[in-house]
Amino acid sequence: MLLCDFHIHTKYSDGSVELRRAVDLFGQAGFDVIAITDHVVNGDSSFGKLAHRFRFTVNENNFDDYMAHVRQEAERAYDKYGMLIIPGVEISKNYISSDKSAHILILDIKEFIPACWSYEKIFREAKGQDALVIACHPHHTSEMTIRETLFLWNNRDKYAKYIDAWEIANRDDVFNVISLKKYPYIANSDFHRTRHLYSWKTLLNCEKKVESVKQCIRHNKGVAITLFRN
Amino acid sequence: METVFIIFVLITIAGLAAYGLQIWAIRKKLQERRTGEEERERGLSQGASPASFSLPVPFPGISILKPLKGIDDNLFDNLASICMQDYPMYEIIFGLQDYNDPAYKVAKKIKEKYPEKDITIIVERCNAGLNPKINNLVPSYNVSKYEAILISDSNVLVGRNYLQEIVKHLQDPGVGLVSNLIQGTGGRTLGSVFENLHLNSFIMGSVCFLDRFLKMPCVVGKSMLMRKRDLEAVGGFPAVKDVLAEDYLIGKKIKETGKKVVLSHYMVRNVNHYWGIRKFLNRHIRWGKLRWRIGGFRYFSELIGNPVFLSSIPMFLWGPSKITASLLVASSCIKIMGDLYIGRIIRAPMRSLLYFLSPVKDMIIGIIWFVPILSNTVVWRGNRYIIGKDSFLLPCKETGWSWTYRLTDAIKARFA
Repeated sequence: MLLCDFHIHTKYSDGSVELRRAVDLFGQAGFDVIAITDHVVNGDSSFGKLAHRFRFTVNENNFDDYMAHVRQEAERAYDKYGMLIIPGVEISKNYISSDKSAHILILDIKEFIPACWSYEKIFREAKGQDALVIACHPHHTSEMTIRETLFLWNNRDKYAKYIDAWEIANRDDVFNVISLKKYPYIANSDFHRTRHLYSWKTLLNCEKKVESVKQCIRHNKGVAITLFRN
Repeated sequence: METVFIIFVLITIAGLAAYGLQIWAIRKKLQERRTGEEERERGLSQGASPASFSLPVPFPGISILKPLKGIDDNLFDNLASICMQDYPMYEIIFGLQDYNDPAYKVAKKIKEKYPEKDITIIVERCNAGLNPKINNLVPSYNVSKYEAILISDSNVLVGRNYLQEIVKHLQDPGVGLVSNLIQGTGGRTLGSVFENLHLNSFIMGSVCFLDRFLKMPCVVGKSMLMRKRDLEAVGGFPAVKDVLAEDYLIGKKIKETGKKVVLSHYMVRNVNHYWGIRKFLNRHIRWGKLRWRIGGFRYFSELIGNPVFLSSIPMFLWGPSKITASLLVASSCIKIMGDLYIGRIIRAPMRSLLYFLSPVKDMIIGIIWFVPILSNTVVWRGNRYIIGKDSFLLPCKETGWSWTYRLTDAIKARFA
């Protein structure tokens, strides 16, 4: 089984660890597959504007540098640790109301996708790039510091068809509603700080290749979750 | 007040003098390294190959026992470094208690990455005693095939010539055990910076001081090379299965048999990147308890080795004034310069600015120095124990009223 974490932030957005160090941290701990998913925040709300002001977001201008850096690290990680890195982003639509907010992981992204686009347009663009769409922390979380993002869950009837998998567990939280709805699932750390290494993870029974990983998540067979603790 | 203050000044000066002797002892130990390096370069210039030069002939095969438990900082690189030795005959045995241990996956990856190396992964739950490290080592020891065994902790990073350098000492049949200097490296959090400062000043200084001036074996278990027959002559692992300081006791017992315990000048690196303050405190409270139980009243001499803390006491007793502050500032400055100097000579990769944290670390160490005198329980790898004389462990019951059990068990242990 491949030990995976598909939700990792670095200093490209609001993470506290530089990309290279984050890669080393996961590599040294024996991970098989990770995805680097820094925030791409919408600029059409006060929260979004703040994120842009303090550079807590990947934007259209630095997206190519970000991707090049991730690819460079991916090469190094594969040579050194045998660890696969998938480039991605977390499209973050932040609004004052948590019912309006949503975060979406786009894994194996190729071209920049602005967060201010409509949901349909984002999903269609992601599909066009053959990227994987994951709904992040879709339900109520226990962490007081995290703003909840309930839009996708509240509008699941409309958007579930676009979503390849839902986070059934994020860091320390488990969302049983995903299980009850029988949606495809994965579990991630939402890594921002080194201590977040020890959190919920995904185990995949597939080959260590980007396409196989994507297929495995889409078909949601051979997927398990585990609480990674030291 | 004046007399007491002068006494404190004198004790601080004595502490600084002892610290100076520690620095001198480190320098002397490192000079052995330079001599070794010069010999090696001379040999290489005369056409000897790097691997063959300085190896004892016939070279002994070495079984490297790596007890693993959880993910240490830099674990992958630490394990990889032991696989890249310029040494012709050695096996590596990774020992784990549980398949669910996250270190199992890292060990497997290392085995896959170095298929040409003789690597065995042993996963076996062993409850030989109360010391979890010994429990981990016993199954690995049982399958090891060479006469020389090297116990090397998982948080240790070594260079390619590590085995070459330490095995030379075994050429002398009178040598029973070889241990190493430990250098703390890394440090991306405050806790790990404190840890590395402490390893590179107090721990390294004390080990070198004891080795040079008192000829006392001060074995730190991160790296221990010995022959099986020497270990078995002192009772083997069963003799230390219920002891917290198994490394110290093995060294002591081997010395008692008339064999030498050698401190190699080769420096192994202990990589600490992401330690929190709590982990730093836990480790040094544990090590302090251990030294208190082993050393008894000699433990009090450690306070003299902490001039920064000693020089701060007048300030607490009589409040801040020019004279009390001057004493503290002067001793802190000397300590910072001393630690910086040690850092330079051991080539510690630490930014100079971080050495200014050294007095803060010494103050913390001074405060936690008192804990072992007040408490005799220790939590190690998730288990709580009572420490008896010579660091013998007794299990400590954990319930809502656990302190009463700890107290009664401690009394029993005292009278046992």
